[in-house]
Amino acid sequence: MKSFNRVLISVLLLTLAVSGAVFANGGSESKDAGGDDQITIAYIGATKSMAFWNTLGKEAANRADELGVKFIDLTPPELTASEQKKAMDNVILQGVDGIIIGAADNRAFGESLDKAKAAGIPVVAVDTGIEHEQVKSLVQTDNLASAGLAGQYIVDNMDPGKILIIGGTVGHQTGNARRDGVMQVAEANGVEAIFRACDWDDTKAFETTQNELGANPDITAIFACWDPGAMSVKAAVKDKGLLDKVVIVGFDGNPANLKAVKAGEIEAEIKQDNVLMGRKSVEILVDIINGKPVEEFYPINGFVIDASNVDEYL
Amino acid sequence: MLSKSMMFQMRRGLQALVGLIIINLVFIILAPTYRQIGNFTTILSNATVLGCLALGSTIVIISGGLDLSIGSVLGLISVVVGNMLNLNVPVVFTVLIGLGVGALAGLISGSIIVATGIPAFIGTLGMMMAFRGMAELFGSGRDMSAFPEAFTNLGTGYVVPVLITALSFILVGLFLSKTRLGFNAYAIGGNQEVARLSGVSVKKNQVVYYMLGGLFAGLAAIIETARLDFAQSSRGTGQELNAIAAVIIGGTSMAGGMGGIGRTLIGVLIMASLSAGLSHLGVGSSWQRISIGFVIILAVWLDTFQRKRSAKA
Repeated sequence: MKSFNRVLISVLLLTLAVSGAVFANGGSESKDAGGDDQITIAYIGATKSMAFWNTLGKEAANRADELGVKFIDLTPPELTASEQKKAMDNVILQGVDGIIIGAADNRAFGESLDKAKAAGIPVVAVDTGIEHEQVKSLVQTDNLASAGLAGQYIVDNMDPGKILIIGGTVGHQTGNARRDGVMQVAEANGVEAIFRACDWDDTKAFETTQNELGANPDITAIFACWDPGAMSVKAAVKDKGLLDKVVIVGFDGNPANLKAVKAGEIEAEIKQDNVLMGRKSVEILVDIINGKPVEEFYPINGFVIDASNVDEYL
Repeated sequence: MLSKSMMFQMRRGLQALVGLIIINLVFIILAPTYRQIGNFTTILSNATVLGCLALGSTIVIISGGLDLSIGSVLGLISVVVGNMLNLNVPVVFTVLIGLGVGALAGLISGSIIVATGIPAFIGTLGMMMAFRGMAELFGSGRDMSAFPEAFTNLGTGYVVPVLITALSFILVGLFLSKTRLGFNAYAIGGNQEVARLSGVSVKKNQVVYYMLGGLFAGLAAIIETARLDFAQSSRGTGQELNAIAAVIIGGTSMAGGMGGIGRTLIGVLIMASLSAGLSHLGVGSSWQRISIGFVIILAVWLDTFQRKRSAKA
């Protein structure tokens, strides 16, 4: 019991030390920001470990730089909404002029957004929509329509059989829309589709694909809702020697995936325009801060990359 | 006294084995597709990465320690290896350096714990975050894929990865049963003070166990990266908990001083069979996690229940 208490106290101290450091940092930032009239915006992307988000964040920073806006990047290393919420709570206390949020989970921010509203800080959501009055605008790939493109590509190119959909986390808005986009096209064409949530985890995507191919030998097409997932699907299908039989389509158009399209291992990729998404979200937030009217939704269209046009994007 | 505890240990191992057989029989009866040979080779090959991770964890747990950082070490080695292959470093060097950096990571975690005296849980929790951060620094936003065949062969199919893993299990088995250093792991895990008084240099040995844990996390990373043919800094997130779960399900005690790699092998196969079998029954991933969670509770409950009973007897 004594040693348990000691562990508990150590954990509490550790927590205090970490949060203390964060607040200390926040304090000095606000001093910098308060000194002049320069607009300061905070950007909280979903994760530092995905190429998609890194490009989006970099382009947002570039656009902020061009507009003469101070840009604070508080993207947490891993895909955890709770870390994002903490970052958001901190910048609200710190008093920035606006926040861009690429939510890891759209349901985690209600309380923080209430605080943002009380503090009068406008929020723009990018990639994943959040239902809250303080979220003034959403810049998003039209996931349903773009996944519909994937579904159509699959239905047009697959042999008779089933579609396997390798998904993100259960209930995630972006993941759901991509799943539904493919599902709807599959249904309309009378093709059966199996959905498996893999938590955006590439290892799980590999194992699930192997297991499902074993359990359903009639799978002839696989759609992965995110790109590292599609790479795992490719590896699993290749491992089973089924690359010629199974049509694989991924979503994002990361460099590694495009190389696999070029090599003929992945058939097609839906590319999101993350460059435009990053730039647009900054522009809109700055417009809101300057009191200009903005739309509630800026859909950004995805497009299909396959063997016929992959060279343009490599 | 010794014979009683040995019998108790053998019984726990046997129970885990019976559990593995029952689980497989149930799936074989209920799911026609589970019966194919290809399914069992898939289970074996999917079990290799978790097997290597759990192998390292077994050594650390027997010695009374705990390493939460190995999942992050897996991610770190994945991007280290990916970067080196991108720079066209020969595969042999890449593998050796990958294993070396893994051992180095274990050396760092182990040294921090013995030097500061902080609980292993906290020390390795800190290193879990630190190693993940390093993995991101080395790996984020870089395309590391389409590796040479000499490398991907280490992870594809089932023959090579299963052979590598089997060899590792044999080596660690010999290490634990035939070497002074291995035997000391049981002594230290059983009672550190007694081990120290009988002349074992406890701290030095503990660091070696953490190094071995890191080394096998590196091996797991190499197999995984070769298999998926791309590197990613987020790889291995949460895997440290799966490794610990496999060790516990096999029947190695979290209290240290007891256990063995045979049981860990059974624990790993139980987890791999469960996730494959439930897929073959058309059960989604949420239910897979629920069932593995209850298997862990059942395993630990069996352990404590029987320990109490054998203490009374």
